[in-house]
Amino acid sequence: MSNTLRPYLNAVRQTLTAAMCLENFSSQVAERHNKPEVEVRASKEVLLNPVVISRNDKERVLIETSVNSLRVSIAIKQADEIERILAHKFTRFLTQRAESFVILRRKPIEGYDISFLITNAHTEQMYKHKLVDFIIQFMEEVDKEISEMKLSLNARARIVSESYLSQFN
Amino acid sequence: MSIVDFDGVSYHLATLDDNDAKLNLSIRWKCWHELVQYGAVDVLKREYSRWIIDPEHGYDFTLQFDLDNIGGDPEDVIRRVSLLKRNAMAAPFERAFDAQSLAEQEDHWDPSSSQLMTIHYRDGEAIYVQNQQDRVTVIFSTLFKEETDRVFAKVFLQEFVDARKKPHLQNAPQVIYSHREPPLEIRHVPGLLDSESQGYITFVLFPRNYAAGAVREETISRIQIFRDYLHYHIKCSKAYMHSRMRARVSDFLKVLNRAKPEIQASEKKLASGRAFRRV
Repeated sequence: MSNTLRPYLNAVRQTLTAAMCLENFSSQVAERHNKPEVEVRASKEVLLNPVVISRNDKERVLIETSVNSLRVSIAIKQADEIERILAHKFTRFLTQRAESFVILRRKPIEGYDISFLITNAHTEQMYKHKLVDFIIQFMEEVDKEISEMKLSLNARARIVSESYLSQFN
Repeated sequence: MSIVDFDGVSYHLATLDDNDAKLNLSIRWKCWHELVQYGAVDVLKREYSRWIIDPEHGYDFTLQFDLDNIGGDPEDVIRRVSLLKRNAMAAPFERAFDAQSLAEQEDHWDPSSSQLMTIHYRDGEAIYVQNQQDRVTVIFSTLFKEETDRVFAKVFLQEFVDARKKPHLQNAPQVIYSHREPPLEIRHVPGLLDSESQGYITFVLFPRNYAAGAVREETISRIQIFRDYLHYHIKCSKAYMHSRMRARVSDFLKVLNRAKPEIQASEKKLASGRAFRRV
């Protein structure tokens, strides 16, 4: 892990742990409704200040909290065209499987690549520290996966072109 | 029996209605008239002279075989016939190679003798072959249906350009890739599509790449399958990425499921050994 990645992930971990104190909270606007307040944004007093943690201008995490829900949005590193495509494909792949990833939001927040929505129901069903672990591990592995895919694409391209051109000798 | 091949080629293989011993093979290809213009008929006559008959209705070219007297070693005949498409396509290449060899023998180079041959072998895609004083250039224009294909192709073609720097590949033809912008040789050609999905690949063939005989035949075959080769590998890498992502996603799912506390599944037993469930 590089020097800047560790403090970055630590900051995200601490913030998430602090932010993840959610409780059941019914809507103040409509009776017998219980919605994630961070999504409906109907009553101002239950929303907390959003936090942005950035490693650089491309990689950043937005954490928005409310009384009963928490939204984590991640912008993945995209240095060039290939990484952009791979990241896009990868996040799309994930969001299409949002059904099984209970905490995954189907649509990322604008300006970010992927978003998670954690509600009080999730924190009641699952261990809070494990949830934080999951998000941290996700952030680590996404970068790793994308750079590995890029390397393998380049390696394949090299072999393909060499074997084609060597036929001319 | 109908058979299809790459690049929108279709074959029709049938025995005659009135004579079971005669077998007809017809080929249909969109760019046939262009190939004929560049001397495909001569090449085909050279290869298949004894079997050529008038084209069947709706097809461009027909061969007829007498099964009782096939005229040669059957294995060899089959191999030659299966190269029908390749041989038809070889005509413009052979013409360009010959023209270049001729020009080289003369001291004086006449620019007007360079001929640009265009073969629109697929919808929206074409091969351009041009002979010049000391070389022959082959330009592929190709379409990438998806943004991903385009980006992958860029990586692949960049490697093609770089691979030639390797010492053991010095003899390979030079490859130039340009995206969207057509190369100078064909810039004047009307009807070039100006879009992001268009790519141009130029091969510069020097005389050593098409010395008469086996080398030339090999080169023609290689160049023809270039597009299929490239696109095949693009598709393969996409498939590979896909399977990788699948594996990664299931990994993530496992990590997420670890966050769920395990439900105590141990059954409570009575003293008698029978299980019961508390309601």
